[in-house]
Amino acid sequence: MFSVFNTEMMKLKNTKILWLVLIGVLPANLVSLIALLPKIAPAGTPAGINLQDMFYRQGQMLTIWGPALFALMTGYIIAREYQERTINQLFSYPVARVSFLAAKLAAVLALIALTTVLSSVSVFVVGAKLVFQQHADLNVLWLGMRMNMMICALSFGTIPVAAALSMVGKNIIPVAVLGVFVTVITAIGEAGHGSQGILFPWLTPYWPVRQLAQGIAQNSGPNPYATPALVVLALTFIISLIFCVVYYARADVHSGS
Amino acid sequence: MGFCLRTHHLTKRYGEKAVVHDINLSIRTGDIYGFLGQNGAGKTTTLRMLMGLIRPSAGEIELFGAGLKGSRAMALERVGAIIEYPGFYLNLSAAENLEIHRRLMGMGNKECIDEVLTTVGLLDAKQQKVKNYSLGMKQRLGIARALLHHPELLILDEPTNGLDPVGIKEVRQLFLDLARQRGISILISSHLLNEIELLATRIGIIHKGKLLEEIDYEALQRKARQYLEIKVDDEQRAAYILEQKLGVTDYLVAGPGILHLYERLDQSAKVNFTLASNGIGVKEIVLSGDSLEDYFLKITGGARLV
Ligand SMILES: Nc1ncnc2c1ncn2[C@@H]1O[C@H](COP(=O)(O)OP(=O)(O)OP(=O)(O)O)[C@@H](O)[C@H]1O
Ligand SMILES: [Mg+2]
Repeated sequence: MFSVFNTEMMKLKNTKILWLVLIGVLPANLVSLIALLPKIAPAGTPAGINLQDMFYRQGQMLTIWGPALFALMTGYIIAREYQERTINQLFSYPVARVSFLAAKLAAVLALIALTTVLSSVSVFVVGAKLVFQQHADLNVLWLGMRMNMMICALSFGTIPVAAALSMVGKNIIPVAVLGVFVTVITAIGEAGHGSQGILFPWLTPYWPVRQLAQGIAQNSGPNPYATPALVVLALTFIISLIFCVVYYARADVHSGS
Repeated sequence: MGFCLRTHHLTKRYGEKAVVHDINLSIRTGDIYGFLGQNGAGKTTTLRMLMGLIRPSAGEIELFGAGLKGSRAMALERVGAIIEYPGFYLNLSAAENLEIHRRLMGMGNKECIDEVLTTVGLLDAKQQKVKNYSLGMKQRLGIARALLHHPELLILDEPTNGLDPVGIKEVRQLFLDLARQRGISILISSHLLNEIELLATRIGIIHKGKLLEEIDYEALQRKARQYLEIKVDDEQRAAYILEQKLGVTDYLVAGPGILHLYERLDQSAKVNFTLASNGIGVKEIVLSGDSLEDYFLKITGGARLV
């Protein structure tokens, strides 16, 4: 099984996937660095660096762009086998088709993790510097780390939907359309700061971001929609995953004709 | 000798239409089996079913003497294939593509990669990205990949597509060597008669989804009818003289200046003398056989192969 995953990662060498990761990574780093600009606290004294604010900005940027990018990555990994006509060969191996699906989804998870880690690099670098100067609240660092791990996990929840669209469409276009649609919703949803937005599965990763920002400005109290949102996301994940497993394993393969 | 591949009543329907209908293939170990059919005859569909890429609507497949159900993975380890088109990851080099294949096939040592690249003459291009390969090079690389894991059976769908005449000749020689020296059985589909003719030990002719004939090449040669091909300056008068002087009736005007004589095959000297002494200029008399093409035309009811 690990060797199948390995081959999936090999296939990504020299592809545009790395650009997609960069698109996800750069804005998040930039906006979190904005927090370093000199600021004046309400009391009139210069404010110190606020790590929590940095994490909040990073998380926000990542959860606006991320869903579309992760969908595109999934689409590329699944659909390229049809578009580059390698699917005949792929399914001729003495390996169960479900193993290929699992390896591909694992590759997407690895890319999500990579994007998330890289997108928080500047926050953690600044955080580490503060730790070194003994100015930092270690608790905030831990909260930021937890937020990022939750973003990873929650972002993975909608991945099988992207996978399903790509294997049925045998093409990256359906997922590109999905990406545009989803980005509009995440951008509007996060701009509005409404708490029920997270019911939309692609916006559920925003929940831990908003959670972290409690106490900052307009956010207060735990999100009352957290449980239903998690249920919706879990159902989305399970149903689309079952569809993928059945479809991938059973479908006739015609690419190249 | 055993069979390495057999199908029993193999059928694929799309909606109402049977694209492959009730096909019984039998390929013996060591055969080079030419699977011959026009465009759209159902060759690729059949091969896809053999590789488990599409599900048969009915019928069974037997690989190496066992049914496919349950032991698909084990059977596939012993098969190398190119179905329809040699697809590769274009962003990777030839060597990297083969490395993926090696891992998925569970092959231990890495030397097999250089080995097969040498076999198909691509060793020098091994670090080149496949994106920069020509179709002919991809085709060779496809053959290399099909060979990498030392298969016992090769299933090749039109493997000479995109090769130049020299390449076709080289690849043909390679297939012959593989069959003779390594005892690999080969199932090779084609819409080109002359290609199959030069290679196959056994031939299956598929037409509109049905297997019209399956025959050993030697038997086919015996079946083909022989004739004297006579090239003359005036075929009409020549025919008249042959009828009058020799009493022949079984002949055919095959074209301007060409007669096919289906009797007196051992009397070409007499035929020559008779014609010459009646003032007919004879340019050539040769004994010819019904070509595979003629035979094919006959059994498919006149459908032409390109
Ligand atoms: N998915 C499909 N749905 C419906 N019809 C199909 C499908 N795939 C193939 N066919 C039909 O099946 C027939 C056989 O196709 P196939 O690809 O097997 O032919 P072939 O012998 O390989 O031809 P070629 O020499 O052109 O490669 C064709 O008439 C084609 O239109
Ligand atoms: Mg074909």
